[in-house]
Amino acid sequence: MALIELNGICKYFEMGDQVIHALDGIDLAIEQNEYLAFIGSSGSGKSTMMNILGCLDRPTAGVYSLNQHDVSQLSENELAEIRNREIGFIFQSFNLLTKATALQNVMQPLVYRGVGLKQRRTAAVAALQRVGLAERADHLPNQLSGGQRQRVAIARALVTHPSILLADEPTGNLDSQTTADIMALFDELHGEGQTIILVTHEPDIAAHCRRVARMQDGKIAENYVNDHAAGATT
Amino acid sequence: MFVITESFMSALASIRAHGLRSFLTMLGIIIGVASVIAMVSIIQGLNHSVSQQLEGLGANSIMINSFTPREELLKGRRARLTPEDLTAISQRIDGIESITPFLPGQGGALRYGSQTAATNVMGTTYAYQDIQQYYVKIGRFLSVSDNQTRRRVMVIGEETRKKLALPENPLNEYVEYGGEWVKIIGLLEPKGTLVGQDLDDLAVIPFSTMRSLRGAQNEADILIQLTVSNLDNIDTVVDQIRRLLRKQHGLTTERDDFNIQTADQMKDMIGAITTQITAVMGGILGISLLVGGIGIMNIMLVSVTERTREIGICKAIGAKRHHVLLQFLFESVFLCLLGGLIGLLIGYGFGAMVASMVQDLPAAHVPLWAIVLAFGFSAGVGIIFGILPAAKAANLDPIEALRYE
Repeated sequence: MALIELNGICKYFEMGDQVIHALDGIDLAIEQNEYLAFIGSSGSGKSTMMNILGCLDRPTAGVYSLNQHDVSQLSENELAEIRNREIGFIFQSFNLLTKATALQNVMQPLVYRGVGLKQRRTAAVAALQRVGLAERADHLPNQLSGGQRQRVAIARALVTHPSILLADEPTGNLDSQTTADIMALFDELHGEGQTIILVTHEPDIAAHCRRVARMQDGKIAENYVNDHAAGATT
Repeated sequence: MFVITESFMSALASIRAHGLRSFLTMLGIIIGVASVIAMVSIIQGLNHSVSQQLEGLGANSIMINSFTPREELLKGRRARLTPEDLTAISQRIDGIESITPFLPGQGGALRYGSQTAATNVMGTTYAYQDIQQYYVKIGRFLSVSDNQTRRRVMVIGEETRKKLALPENPLNEYVEYGGEWVKIIGLLEPKGTLVGQDLDDLAVIPFSTMRSLRGAQNEADILIQLTVSNLDNIDTVVDQIRRLLRKQHGLTTERDDFNIQTADQMKDMIGAITTQITAVMGGILGISLLVGGIGIMNIMLVSVTERTREIGICKAIGAKRHHVLLQFLFESVFLCLLGGLIGLLIGYGFGAMVASMVQDLPAAHVPLWAIVLAFGFSAGVGIIFGILPAAKAANLDPIEALRYE
């Protein structure tokens, strides 16, 4: 069985008397260690897709199996548990806690898992080392550059050893050099066996991914394997 | 337990991160607790010292005075205690250690040279010094023979001496009282003040002298004070006196036309008054904490809105409802407790300052119950007014919260 299986996933929003079909019957299987990019114009349903995959939201209809568990109808607290254990989020705007240091940010997910302070620190330092930011552990987010902030966010996503890494336009706010650095990091992580799903509208970014799913009007319009992916070679 | 310590730590961190705002939020609680603790400390200090002074007066003393019921007063009658009553009590009641009458003077100032003093002058006897525990510093007290021979002699307090500008040693000076010259034979030891009343501003002359000075008027109304030899018998003695006086006054079915008070009763009375004042203070504390609590709720709601995105992030990385709820709840409880503590310190400091600056006020005294109450209330306010903002934070939708700018 695949890591993620989506069967007939629909998400409708009511806007006044209009019903918007943000997702309209998505069927998709994502295997362990896949490197998948969702592309598409804005309003095509990419973000809704990410929210559903990230268990931030529940589909209106359809079945979402993660690790062979149906998570489409779980309670809010159960979803929080899944987000904590199975999913690592990386956002376009980094979404770090501004009053907390890099280390504290990375330790935060482990707090909700009930890990003691010592183990938290060890795990967080290891995660920061993995993204090459160990020496910046005590800096606040506003003392870090954009690329460094995104690295902290990646370390925060990795520290729980999630099944999936979900990145929503992870390089949207970064310059080209930093973008290249971050994508190199993603390629490396993929090479280590991490499952990565990202959303982007930049072809350069999508070119890193083994598989690309193009979305249009809440449906997957195109789903192709990218043999020349940069990620494939590493 | 883990959740609680973690929530506690993050609440603490958040309070520290918003230092000024946290302080302003606490201000309502601080002022409320401080003002009430200051008042309570002064009042309780007062109560404390009054109790102590009354204890010094002797728990075994009994005070008898006449009491005219209102309807009798309207009929133009006045109840009186007479010297005959005194004689009857001292002769027929067992268990009395000492007994003395008081006959208050009819106004009229003391005069010495060009100085006058409107001092409280009392006619009394030798036993007065034992009952009131007033002893002379220099000279002697009124003697039995002073009373028998109606000698024109006087014992005065330190304050009265100062008022009259008498020399340090006023013995054998003459002062004018009620048109007569009276010789000073003793100066009392200073006693200080009680409830703002100067206990050293007094003058006593022999009871019989006072009677003669008051002249041929109707028999005056006297007060009687006595001490019992055995404190355990005080209730019996009070009972016996009551029966005796009723008989003396020919009362059958009417109410007593006199009052018998023990030191205990006086203490209880003063205690009751301060308890009432303290209760009113408690009410004010309640109101001010309510106002402070609303302030805290207000700021916490603002804080939840301001930190919507932060809450969204925490939820995205796995915070459950109770994580968020507890963090905000701890924050408000902590703010309240901290405010209560600061208020307590300021209030105590202020009370002590006022007590030391204003003369006649005894040292401030904060009872334990006031501390417990202030803290309990503060914590309660923190929970009650923190629950709404905390619930609001916990119920935020993660997607909405993350999108919040």
